[in-house]
This record gives sequence, structure tokens and C-alpha cells, in this order.
Amino acid sequence: MKIRVGVFFGGKSVEHEVSVISGLQAYNAFDKEKYDLVPIYITKDNELYTGELIADIANYRNIPELLKKSIRVFLMGEKNGVKLIRYPEKKFGSSEVAQIDVALPVVHGANVEDGSLQGFLRHYNIPFAGCDVMASAVTMDKYVMKTVLKDNDIPVLDCVTLYGKEYEGGEQAAYDKVERKIPYPVIVKPVNLGSSVGIKVAKDREELREALEYAFTFGPKVLVERAIMNLREINCAVLGDYEKAEPSECEEPISSDEILSYEDKYVAGGKGGSEGMRTAKRELPANLTPEKREEIRELAVRTFQTLGCNGVSRIDFMIDRDTDQVYVNEINPIPGSLAFYLWEALGKPYKELLDDMIKLALKREREEQSMLTSFDSNILQNANLSGAKGVKK
Amino acid sequence: MIFFGIWLATYLVGVVWYILYLMHMFQQNSYKPREYGEWMRVHTNVGRLLGKCLYALISLPLAVIGNRGCLIAACVMNGMTILVNKPHKAKKPLVYTPRVKRMLVTTGILYLLAAALAVAPGLWMRTGAGVLLTSQGLLPQPEHPLLRNAGLILLVMFILQPFLILLANAVNHPIEKRIDQYYINDAARILREMPDLKIIGVTGSYGKTSVKYYLSALLSTQYNVLHTPGNYNTTLGVVRTIRENMKPFHEIFICEMGAREVGDIKEICDLVHPDYGIITSIGPQHLQSFHTIENVVATKFELADSVPPSGKVFLNYDNTYIRNAGTDKNIVSYGITAKDVDFCAYDISVSPRGSSFKMKDESGKEYEFHTKLVGSHNVQNIAGAIAVAHTLGIPMEKLLYPVKQLESVPHRLQLVKQGDRILLDDAYNSNKNGFEAALDTLAMFKELRILLTPGMVELGEKQYDENKEVGVYAADKCDYAVLVGKEQTKPIQDGLLEAGFPENRMIPVDDLQEAFRMVNAIPGEKQKVILIENDLPDNYA
Repeated sequence: MKIRVGVFFGGKSVEHEVSVISGLQAYNAFDKEKYDLVPIYITKDNELYTGELIADIANYRNIPELLKKSIRVFLMGEKNGVKLIRYPEKKFGSSEVAQIDVALPVVHGANVEDGSLQGFLRHYNIPFAGCDVMASAVTMDKYVMKTVLKDNDIPVLDCVTLYGKEYEGGEQAAYDKVERKIPYPVIVKPVNLGSSVGIKVAKDREELREALEYAFTFGPKVLVERAIMNLREINCAVLGDYEKAEPSECEEPISSDEILSYEDKYVAGGKGGSEGMRTAKRELPANLTPEKREEIRELAVRTFQTLGCNGVSRIDFMIDRDTDQVYVNEINPIPGSLAFYLWEALGKPYKELLDDMIKLALKREREEQSMLTSFDSNILQNANLSGAKGVKK
Repeated sequence: MIFFGIWLATYLVGVVWYILYLMHMFQQNSYKPREYGEWMRVHTNVGRLLGKCLYALISLPLAVIGNRGCLIAACVMNGMTILVNKPHKAKKPLVYTPRVKRMLVTTGILYLLAAALAVAPGLWMRTGAGVLLTSQGLLPQPEHPLLRNAGLILLVMFILQPFLILLANAVNHPIEKRIDQYYINDAARILREMPDLKIIGVTGSYGKTSVKYYLSALLSTQYNVLHTPGNYNTTLGVVRTIRENMKPFHEIFICEMGAREVGDIKEICDLVHPDYGIITSIGPQHLQSFHTIENVVATKFELADSVPPSGKVFLNYDNTYIRNAGTDKNIVSYGITAKDVDFCAYDISVSPRGSSFKMKDESGKEYEFHTKLVGSHNVQNIAGAIAVAHTLGIPMEKLLYPVKQLESVPHRLQLVKQGDRILLDDAYNSNKNGFEAALDTLAMFKELRILLTPGMVELGEKQYDENKEVGVYAADKCDYAVLVGKEQTKPIQDGLLEAGFPENRMIPVDDLQEAFRMVNAIPGEKQKVILIENDLPDNYA
């Protein structure tokens, strides 16, 4: 019997298209001898679709057509497994389309990568690979991530957070707040978006105003930190869990502009650029001294475990060339293309990476099974709605 | 006519309830005709059955006579039948499984056939009884002869109902066999598709469910484990587990194997082909169906016989029966009192709040284990689980944490705090070894110690002696003894008194409700701790 994996991709996020690419890459890379795969596409309206056509990237040129020819499903978690049920259900015969044992979420962006999808899967009792709800939520919010790392002596840049509502009408106070704490040049980022969306550098107050206005169009909360002008960016992925984790090779993304832009990352392959992170311009392995490389890799593992991650996550570092200081910039709980190329560089093939992720998912599941999460006692036996809860007369 | 209608209606209610009661008892006896037959022969049950059909017996001649006055009286009799057959709240009620439903359908068909027989014109007269009775003038000519005839036959069915259950069972037997075989074949297919799955059989007269749960928890530190849930320790229970719960990623399957007759364990082993086996204990359990202890030994060792030469058999050498039985398979032994075993738990300390003990691995390195579980027999069970888990590759230091986390199995010396009193719930199927260990645990408490038990059952010839010995043992370990079943607990009462237990602290009661009332009524300021020992399914109530 092969293990049945449901690969989830898509979702109601700005990185929807990227996720389709990542998801189908993973789908194709699994060891078909060991696994049976079910592709599950999440539309921008949070509808689930599956079917033979869903697994072919070519069909995504015309999504409405694709959906017409595919099967809309919903999940039903039963005692003996998780089923995908056709929607609307058939009048006669079984509406069961497929059954899965484990889920692999390959989704990017807010509303999916931040714990939303993970919580959804938990609700249906589906074991899944990758970060759990808490780790997903913490890592997706750049500000919260910084506070946790700071508390654990992991180097991050100081920052100031601002809410859109406090900014409106309070612009001058906002600029003062920033300038008090952070020297120019500064960089402004929405706290919960990845892939370089909404980011601008500001060298003075006027540019700060522009950057803030721009960032606030993407979300209600932004953070401002010092912009490292003489910057090197190094990425490193980590595979594992709280107990044991190993780092990947380091890469240095090469950008055409001051910061690696969305186009750089995903469209750089030319010809429509449907090949994901693999073809973004990069130097792999990054040109680092062995000591620096180890410093970064160790820091990556510490960051990963401090934040409680699981599966594969990619940590993006910044090196200030002027001081040679390494900072953690951000962490992607579900990295584009699952960062498989960073592991291939060390000799680990993609299908082995996926195998490890599934094993970790099953390990987490059985560790949770051995915890009692609900108790036999029934306080409802004597319940009444008046007074303090659970107090018997 | 109307009165006949009323008679028929009251009869139907009565007979349906009677059928359901008998079906319930058949289910309690595991659908086994022999055990059901033995249950019927127990004199309390004969009395009970007669009581249920007494009023029907009176109703019969009245209905046969058939005139209005008698019919009215017969209806009243039916009313009484309904009253005595009214279902009472049972601890383990009848479960309407598909099999039960099939039997009820067959029973219904039998009744329809019988009624048709009566109503078919001429058939009745052909049966000699009708001719005889009318010709002799014993039967007055009834107003509605066909209805009268039907009534007669239905009443006869009522009285024969206990046997009609067996008839329905026999009629359904070939269908049931085919259905069962389909499920068994399906389970076998699933197992064939998982060639790397390691299968561990767990059996023993007692302790097997506990060992199964502990072993599953320990193995889960490193493997994906499936175990048979709850009491699913029959062939069909195992089949159901495999068909409903087995997943492709499972690496180990722990299969609890229960037995009431010789060959039961072999049947399960022929299906699952275990790679390893553990035998936790052998004792005089289910002697009513096994008849001799030698049969018990042979049956448990059917598991050892099924393990391949490359596998291992884990044996509890504290148990003399196990130690003396022979097997040519690779043996790994464990125990707490026996010293020459592969896995020995020593320096054991038990308290009302938990236990601790030490064990060495094969290199001689010592490890100290702590657990929340109470009772020295649980230390023995854990030792067995550790023996298996370690032999299957889990380092001893990795077992320290899961042993600490082990939760007590429901109703197996489970410590439950209930408001201001403490319950030691050992309600599931008592045996002497466990009973004594439970009493040892009760003795250690500083609170007011109350024993609540109906004694041990199914011990065949040894019923009196074993219960009496337990009574003697209990005398200095509890402050009050509430005994459920005045007749049944006589041996325990004798034992208690013989050992000097004060008679005014011995409280025999009729049923469980009364027992709890008595427990609540025991005077004193001290907090109470109550040991509930052994369950009482309805066929003994």
C-alpha cells in the first residue's frame, strides 16, 4: 500500500501563481513507487479542486476552463482517514473522489502560509508536513519573528512598527517615531508579505512618506528598519524539527536592482518564467569563507528551532559588508520550490527531501497521538448556564 | 373480535421485548450456542426465564377457550407479561449490530410462517392436536377458529422462544459465515500489501490489554504503530481493525489476542502471522469454557507456535505456568520476582501516587524508571513492554520519558479523583493476581479504605476456593467491604470472617445501585478511597 499524499497549492494570497508552480514541481518530484499523489488546487475563492488536469502546469494558462473540466471537492475527516468528496454530491453512487493519509501544503503568502491552511488541515485531522500553526504564524509576521529571535540572542535589525490607522492623520508623529530610533537610509516593509512585495528604501523624510504610503496599500501594519546599503544577501534552508535539524547549502541571490524584486525572483527565467525560484539569478554555492558559511548555517538551525519550525524552511540573511555582521532578515516557513535546489547542491535529491518531510509529518502526528487531548470527565452532566462555569451545585 | 385484537397487540409487545431480552443474552454469550445453553441452565436463569413466560402460560388456555370472558382475562395476563419483560437499564445494553438485525429478521420470518401455518385453512385440522381437542369436546367451538388457532401457535412460539433464538442463529449461520469470510479475506489482502509491517501478538490470561497500550506508547517514540483498540481481541475484531484503521505508513501492528476456547488464538495467528509474541500471564480465567488449565496453557502458546524461528517470544517468567511450558522459539524473558530473566525489574517501590523501579540493558547499564501507574502488577506489565520495545531497537534512555508519561488504562486499576473521594477503578474482568495487587495498593492509602466487589466469576470448579482466599487476603487491607450479590459473594464473606474481619463492616447488597448507596452511607470524617473490583455484565446480574 502506498502512502497517499495530498499536495495542496494555490490559495487566496498574492503569491497564488507562485504556489502553483512550487506545488506542481513537488508533485512531480515525489517517488511514485512509494507514494500515491493527489493534487489539490485551492482557488482564489478558497474552493478546492482536483482531477487529472489539475496536475499539469500547462492547463493553468486558462484557469476558468481548467476548473470547468475538474472536480470540485470538500474534505471530510473520518475515523479511518481523510476523504475528498465531490461537490455537489452525486445522486447515485459514491461521491468519494480520493482518500489521503498525509497532506503537503505548498502555499505561499498570507491567508495560507501563515497558519490558516495548517489550522484548516488540523481541523480535519489530517497529518501534514511543514510548520505547524504557531510556527507558521510567528514566522510570517516579521515583527513577531524579530521579538522572538531577539529574546534568544539571534541577531536581527531593530525596527519600528506602524499601523495604517495611526499613520493617517498622524504622519509627522510617525516620521518622528521612525527617525528617533532608526538612522537613514531605512527600508519599509509590510509585516506579513513575502517575496519582496511592497518594499521600498527611503533615504530621507520625503522618500519615507512615499515608502510608507506605498507599503500601506498592501496591508495595515508595516515595519521600518535600517537599510543596509552595502548589503550581501545569503539564503540558507533548514530541514528537520525541534529535535534534530540540518542546514542546506548557502546561496547568494543576485539582484538587478537594490533589492531582489518580485520579477527578479520569479520571472527571471525569461520565456514566461514558469520555473520558479530555480531560475532566479543566484550564486550557488555562495562565495563565502568556510567560517562564514558555518556561522550562517549554525545560525539558520538555531533560528529554525527557536521558532519551532518543522519540515523545510528557508532563512534569508543579510550581511552588512561594512561591519561583516550577519543578521536574520526573514524566514519563509514554506519556501518557494521548497528550496530543493539548496539541497541538491549538497547531494540530496528532491524526492529524498520530500520523503524526509513526510516522515517528519508522521512523527509529529504520532507524538501528538500519545498525548491525551480530551478528557473523559463530562462537566456538562451537571451544567447550568448561570454562575461560574463548571461549578457544581 | 376487539378483544382478540387487544390480546394480539398486548402479546406482540410482550413477545418483542422477550425476544430482545433473549437476543441480548445471546450477544452477551458471544453468540455461542454452547455458552448460551450453559447460561440457560444456571438455576437463577431458569427461574428468570420461567418468570418471564409464566403469565403467557396462563394466557394460553384462556385464549384457546376463546370466549369473551376468557379473552379479557388473557389480555390481563398479557399485560403482566409486558410488565415482567419490560427492558431495564442495562450496564451494557444490546447493540443492534448488522448480525443482530439479521437474526431479528429471521425470527420475524419464523413467526410469520407459524402464523401462516395456523391460518391456512385445513392445515390446523390436519395437525392432530386440533382434531383431538375439538373432537373430545375439550375445546368449545370458538367464535373465530382461525384466530384462535393463530393465537395458540404464537403462544407456543413464545414459550419456545429461548430455543427459537438458536434456530434463527442456525438458519443464518451459512450467511454469517460467508459474510465473515469476505471480511477475513479482505483483511488478509491488506496485510499482504504491507510486507514490511512487523506484527506483534499479545496474549495472556490477564494483563494483555494493559501491556498492549504500554507497548504501543513505548514503540511510538520511534515507529508508526497501530494497535487493536479497546477490547477488539477476537478474530473479527482484529479483522475490523485492519480494514478500518490500517494505514500505509504503519510500521508495527500490535494485535491483542483473546481466547475463550482452544484454537481461538491459532485462528487469529493464521490470519496475521505474527513476527513476535508476548505472553503476559496464564491463570484460571474462563475455565468454564476452557475446562482445564492445561488447555489454557496450550491455547496461549498457540501464539508462540505461530512465531517464526527468526522471531522472538517474550515470556513473563514470574508466572509458573509460563515458565514450565516449553517452546523451541527464541525466548526473551522478563519479570519482577524471577531473577534469572533477560529483563528484570528490581528495587521496586509502589505508592498510592505512582511507582518506580530499575532495569538493566544487555550491557549491564542500569536505568531508573518512574511511572504514575499504581500496583506492582503494572510494574510487571511495563517491564514486559520495555523488554519488547528495547529488543525492537529503542535505546533504554529513550524509554524513560514515555514510561513516565504512561496513563492508566480505563478500568484497570485506574486512579480517579471524584470530588472528595478517590476511586480505584479496577472494574474490568478480575483475576486473583490482579485482585491481590489491587488490594495491596488499597492497603497503602491513609484514607478510609472501602472494597466494592461482586467477587470473581467464571472460575468453574475453583470458584469457591479462589474467592475465599481473596476474602482472607483482603481482611487486613480494607476498612469496609461492600459485596455485590449476597449469594454470589458468600465465599468472600466466609474468607473475610475467617480472617477476623469485623462482621459489622461487611455489607452484602443485592445490586450495584444499592452498593453505591451503602458506600455513601458509611459514616466518618475521613476521605474515602473505594476499590471497585470486577465488573458485572447483565447475564450475571
